[in-house]
Formats: sequence, structure tokens, C-alpha cells
Amino acid sequence: MNRLLAGACLLPLLAGPALAQSLTVAVQADVRSINPGVNRDDGTDDFVLQMVEGLVGYDEGGTPQPLLAEKVDVSADGKTYTFTLRQGVKFHNGAELTSADVLWNWTRYMDPKTDWRCTSEFDGRAGLKVESVEAPDARTVVMKIDKPNALFLDTMARTDCAMTAIIHKDSLKADGSFDKPIGTGPFKLGEWKRGEYFTMSAFEGYASPKTDGKIDGYVGSKRPLVKDVKFLVVKDPATITAGLTSGAIDLSEILASDVQELRKQPKLEVVTASTAVRQVLLIQTRDAVMGNLKLRQAIAAALDMGEVVAAASDNIGETNTSPIYSRSAYFGPVEKQGLKYDPARAKKLLAEAGYKGEKISILANKRPRVPSFPAAVVVQAMLQAAGINAEIEVLDWATQLDRYNKGNYQMQSFSFSARFDPAIAFEQFAGNKDKQPRKVWDNPEALAKIDRLMTLSDRAERQKLVDELHKQVIEDVPLIFMFNGVDAIAHSKRIKGFQPWQSKLRMWEVTAN
Amino acid sequence: MLRFALTRIVMAIPTLLIVAVSVFVLIRLIPGDPASLMLGDLATPASLADLRARLGLDQSLPVQFAIWFGNLLKGDLGISISSQQPILPLIVSRFWVSAQIVLVAVLLASLVAVPAGLIAAWKQDSALDIGLVALATLLLSIPTFWLGLLLLLFFGLKLGWLPVVGYVAIGDDPWRGLVYLVMPIMTLFLHEIGVLLRMARASTLEVLRLDYITHARAKGLSEMAVLWRHAFKNAFGPTWTLIGLVLGNLLGGIAVVETVFTIPGLGRLLVDSIFARDYPVIQGCMLFIAFTYVLVNLVIDLCYPLFDPRVTAQ
Repeated sequence: MNRLLAGACLLPLLAGPALAQSLTVAVQADVRSINPGVNRDDGTDDFVLQMVEGLVGYDEGGTPQPLLAEKVDVSADGKTYTFTLRQGVKFHNGAELTSADVLWNWTRYMDPKTDWRCTSEFDGRAGLKVESVEAPDARTVVMKIDKPNALFLDTMARTDCAMTAIIHKDSLKADGSFDKPIGTGPFKLGEWKRGEYFTMSAFEGYASPKTDGKIDGYVGSKRPLVKDVKFLVVKDPATITAGLTSGAIDLSEILASDVQELRKQPKLEVVTASTAVRQVLLIQTRDAVMGNLKLRQAIAAALDMGEVVAAASDNIGETNTSPIYSRSAYFGPVEKQGLKYDPARAKKLLAEAGYKGEKISILANKRPRVPSFPAAVVVQAMLQAAGINAEIEVLDWATQLDRYNKGNYQMQSFSFSARFDPAIAFEQFAGNKDKQPRKVWDNPEALAKIDRLMTLSDRAERQKLVDELHKQVIEDVPLIFMFNGVDAIAHSKRIKGFQPWQSKLRMWEVTAN
Repeated sequence: MLRFALTRIVMAIPTLLIVAVSVFVLIRLIPGDPASLMLGDLATPASLADLRARLGLDQSLPVQFAIWFGNLLKGDLGISISSQQPILPLIVSRFWVSAQIVLVAVLLASLVAVPAGLIAAWKQDSALDIGLVALATLLLSIPTFWLGLLLLLFFGLKLGWLPVVGYVAIGDDPWRGLVYLVMPIMTLFLHEIGVLLRMARASTLEVLRLDYITHARAKGLSEMAVLWRHAFKNAFGPTWTLIGLVLGNLLGGIAVVETVFTIPGLGRLLVDSIFARDYPVIQGCMLFIAFTYVLVNLVIDLCYPLFDPRVTAQ
């Protein structure tokens, strides 16, 4: 009996929190791979980008800034980019970064055998073509593109392209296959136990772009201040809540519905932040019923967006009916003027549309961390109140995505992944429906403006185009923007310095006592 | 005995073949494919076509099946689309994790539930019987995910005796590994007690009403002798069959329990693969589960003669 009691007393020691300077972070899913930009998803990018870096990376507002580069000079014709590398940057194996490494990486990325996510973004298939990459000296890389493109640096900085990360040659095995990422990031790869956890440890030789302690996207101060971090795969939100409360988990994304409850926990701090993800209602304008512009405008007028957002995000989201991210530099006074709730106008428009109570189906999914279903429920209620016969059809995510790709729906409660540049934000849903059925907006005038936005560099001219496009999309109603995504993170109060940003769990500049 | 076992295994081949074909076809009838999931909302027709070709999904279904089945005959279940891992070792390692929990939980549940069911039947309509039946019904009615969460909150959070999240393989650290398995085993153990106790009680009641039991009592045998020597052996048959079915079901995956307790078992692998439309892993898992089911029930059948001489393995 005494032994049993003694054993029971020892168990808490085993279950207790990890040592100081070691953090346990819960994540929903295992990483798909550790090969930058290859076999990836958002969680994979998040982990990999703690270990590798590119020539440029996003700042907090989503603008590409020099990272491994000290500066980037663009020629007058907009076709030559000269990257000057920072001095003293070292790979995890101690080797110093040179322009030869950049050349080697570029060749590797352009090789179809690498399976890089973004090869087609730079080889001309998506419009942009890198014609040559040269290294005139050890610190200079010159890249030439076929025609001026305002999105060149943005594309290089994209997280789904793994920031076009520069890794050391020794990241590959002798046979050329990928081994492990030997990057220049603030953390080094530790252990990866598939399906269970992955770890990383501080890179003591890290050369931070800045050292003022101010976090700025991927480019500010990035000092690794904790010894190591363990990312534990925990699927069940209730288990995450229990883990955070017990101290077994130091930090995790939580459900919006858990925010208020966890804020009452004395040992926890809960932080929320808006992301560039956009929650939208997609409308199939080629559908017999939804092709009616007046009906679409009536739907838009029937939605009290403040109420929709409050209910769908558990009161932590902010309304944003523009395609432009609310924290973007392009989110100006025009973008703030979005849809207006006007039940009388909705009624008038419905009458003008000749709507006779035809059924309108809204597709939604029930992924726990995506507000697709709760948003659909509130929208359905408001549409029904306005006299519109709306129904919800719940699908699993893969099926909904398939219907999205085929354009096979009337309406969908959907999420667009984060895109910072306004040109890409518009391009994400605008295009020729015959060629790409997933596109929802095929107004030729708008498409021409988006094409122009892709090439324009002048800030004022771009803003003018963005404003015009914003007004046009509100008028055409091929989709309805509701709100930006919200990160809800709970962490132990022993953690200092963590700042949520674009669903990325950045562990640099984070300390633990 | 050996011939019987071999015959049963050979008879299982058509079953496995049907499973292989139906899983292959059914999973592809569900909308969505791994390529579109990997590319998400930014998939273009060209990028989708590229990725599908790379994954071999652009070929016709008969060709895809022929390739997969040809490899299967060579013992190769293929490579996971999501993790790029070879599937057979992946399934075996995940199965081993689930099997540890299931085997221990079912063994413990049997050791408790079978005698308890016997006693409940023997003392039919007594306070003890009513109490045991009520307990079994309660345990049976509680969903495993909720039972697991209750245990987690009580032993993990309230008392702090057991770890709330994580998993350590027994092979890596036997003592810590055991500690992490306590709650998952306890959850299944409690649930299965309800199932097995009710069956053990029902089958014992049936046997106790038979004439030969009355005859044994009339001969003056002690109640213990009547119960153990005459009632138990005959009443255990249906419960033993149920144990086989329970084992077969649970070895096929305890996804809910694995999700609550962050256990990297076979059930979680299968569920994750279905959501990711990882066709080769789904096919491999289903085939493996079907094979396990057949094998477990074969072992159960072969064990019958050990306690019921009327049954022979011929």
C-alpha cells in the first residue's frame, strides 16, 4: 500500500511542467515534412520558417523586406534585382552564407525534381519568369526577370514558398535526396517523432537582422531566447485546454469559444490578433438563381455584419467587408466603407429581383478552428428573416474544397488563406471562370485592373486601383467579405514576449522563467 | 487443428479481396482528392494537374488499382501521400501502440466483468445484482470520449497524478510509457466492463435455468461447484465470442480515445488519412484491420475447445 502511495506521489513529478527555458507548444497537426516548401501545409511552413530564412521576408504588415539580404536594389526598368547579402550570417553547421549558396538553392528550386511548391511561380507558367541569376561576388546576387513585376519580392517572401529559403548544401544526402534543413534561422532542428512531436533548439550562432527586441513579422529582432521548444501534436481542443490549465502545455492556439473561460485562469494569459485570412460568403454567379445581381445585392443588404461577426467569432473578430486585410497599408478610408445593413433596401431589391422563394443552399464545414459553420448559421437566420429561403449543407472540408474548385455550389461559407499584397488578394477570387471554375469574379473591367495592379509599383497609383476594385466588388457582389481571421492563443504567464501573428507561432524573442 | 486454422486463413482471402476492392473504389467515390487538399484554395487547374500526375492520380482507376494490387501482392502497401513514409511499417508501429492499450484493457475488463456477471446472475434480483447491472448500464452509456475527458480532468487536472497530454513509447522508457497509458487503458477498461458484464450475466442466467443445473443442485453439489464446474464453462462461450468481437473492433482503432489522450495509434492514423484523402494509407489500414479481425476471431475459435469440450476444431 505504501509503495502504491509513494508511486502515486511520484506521478505528478513525471507529469509536471518542463524545465525553465524549455517550452511545450501544442499544435493541431504533425508537420508534413521538414523540406522547405515541399510537401507542405501552413503548420509545416510555420515550423520550417523558424529554422530557415530567405533573402526577403514579410514584415508585420505583410510587406517584403530584406532578411538574409542587407538591401535590395531594383533597376530603373524594374527588371533587375540586386541583393546584397548581410555579413556574418551563418548556417547551423557553422558555414558562412555566400552568394554561391543562393545560386545553388535557386538551381535546386528550379529543378522539377525538387517538387518545390513555387517553381511554377518563377518559371513563366504563372506569368513571372526569372531569366537569370548571377553572383558577381561573394555578397551579391543579381536576379533578372523578363518584365517588371510588382509581386516578385512578395512571391519570394511567401510562406507557402518557404520564403524561398536558403539552406546549406549539406541539407541533402550524398544521393541528392533531402536530409534535414541546415538553415540560417534562429532555431535548429531537434527531433521529429512522426505523429507525436517535433522539437527545435536555439541556434547560438544566429545573426539576427535586428537586436532591439522588437518583433516585426519575419524580419525584425529574432533572437532565440529559449533553449528548446517542443511542438506536441494534440488534436482535441478539450485536451489542449486541460493541458494549458495543468501546465503541461505552455502555449497553444485555442478555440474562440474557449477564450473567455481561459481568461479566468490565473496562470494563463490569452491573446488575440487579427490575421489576413478572410472569412467570406462565396456566390456562384453562374447559378440560375444566384446569377441575379439584384438578389445578390439583396443578400448583402440583409446581413447585419456586426452581428454575424460577433456570433461567428465569439465576439473576438472585427467586421471587414473589404478584400483588403484590415492591417494592410492599403486598407484606407475607402476600404473601411463596406457593405451596409439595410433591411428595407434588401426587401426592395428582392422585389426587383423577382425572387419567388427559390431554395438557396449555403455550403459549410465544421472544422473546429474555422468559423465556416457558425457564420453560415447566422447568415441563414438573417436571410430567412429577410424572406430568403436559405438552407445549410454541411460537408467535410475535402468535399467542400472539391465543390469550390469545380464551382459547384450556390453559396459557400469559406475562408481565403492569408494574402498580403492587394493584387494577389484580388487575384485569389477574380479570373476567367471558364479556365478556372474556382474563381468567383469575372468582371472583365476588374480583371484588367487587377492585371495592371500586378505590374504597378507606384504606391499612390496602386491605392487608386485598389479603391476602385473594392467599390466594384461591393457593387457586383460575387462574394461577401465578412471578417478577417482571428488568432486566439493561450499561454502560461511564465512566457514573456510572445506575439501572435498570422497564425504563426514565432518562438524568437520569447522568454520563459 | 492446424488444418482448421489454415482453412480459415484461406477462407479469409476472398473477404480481404472484397475489402481491398471496395475500399479502393469507395474512397475514390467521395469528392475531394489529396492534391486539391494539399494545394488548398490557391489550386489552379495546371498546379492540380501537375500534382495529380506526380501522385499518380491522373491514371485511370483500373490502372491505379492494378499498380496498387500488384505491389500489395509483393507485400508493399505503398507510400503515404501526406507523410511520404512507407505504409506497412507505419501501420505496424501505430497498431502496436493501439494494441498495447486494447489488449490490457480488454484483459482487465474480462477478469473483472466475467466473474461479476456470474455473481450477478447467481444472485439475480438481489441488491448486488441490481447494483452491478446499473453500474454496467451506466458505464456502457457513457461515450468513451466523455469518460476519457472526465478521467483526464480528475486524475490529470484535479489530482495531478497522471500526465494530461503526451505519449512515451514503452520501448523508450517503460515506466513513463506505462504512466501515459494508464488513463487510456482505464477508459477502455471501464467501458468494456459494461459490455462484458451484461453478456456474462445474461448467458449465465440462461445456463442456470437449464435442467442439468437443477440436477446438479439436487445431487447436493455446493453452489461453488455448480457455478464453477457446470455453469461457468457453458456460460462463458457467448462471452468469449463477444470478447473476440470486442477485440477485433478495438484493435481496428480506438480513434476517439487516441484523440483525447494524444496517443499516436492506428485509429488516429486512419481518421487523419480519411480527412487528408491519403488513399494508400486508408487502403492499407482497412486491409490491415480486416486481416486483424479475421485473425483475432480465428484465435478465439481455436480457443473454444479449451473450455468447452463439445466444440472441436474440426
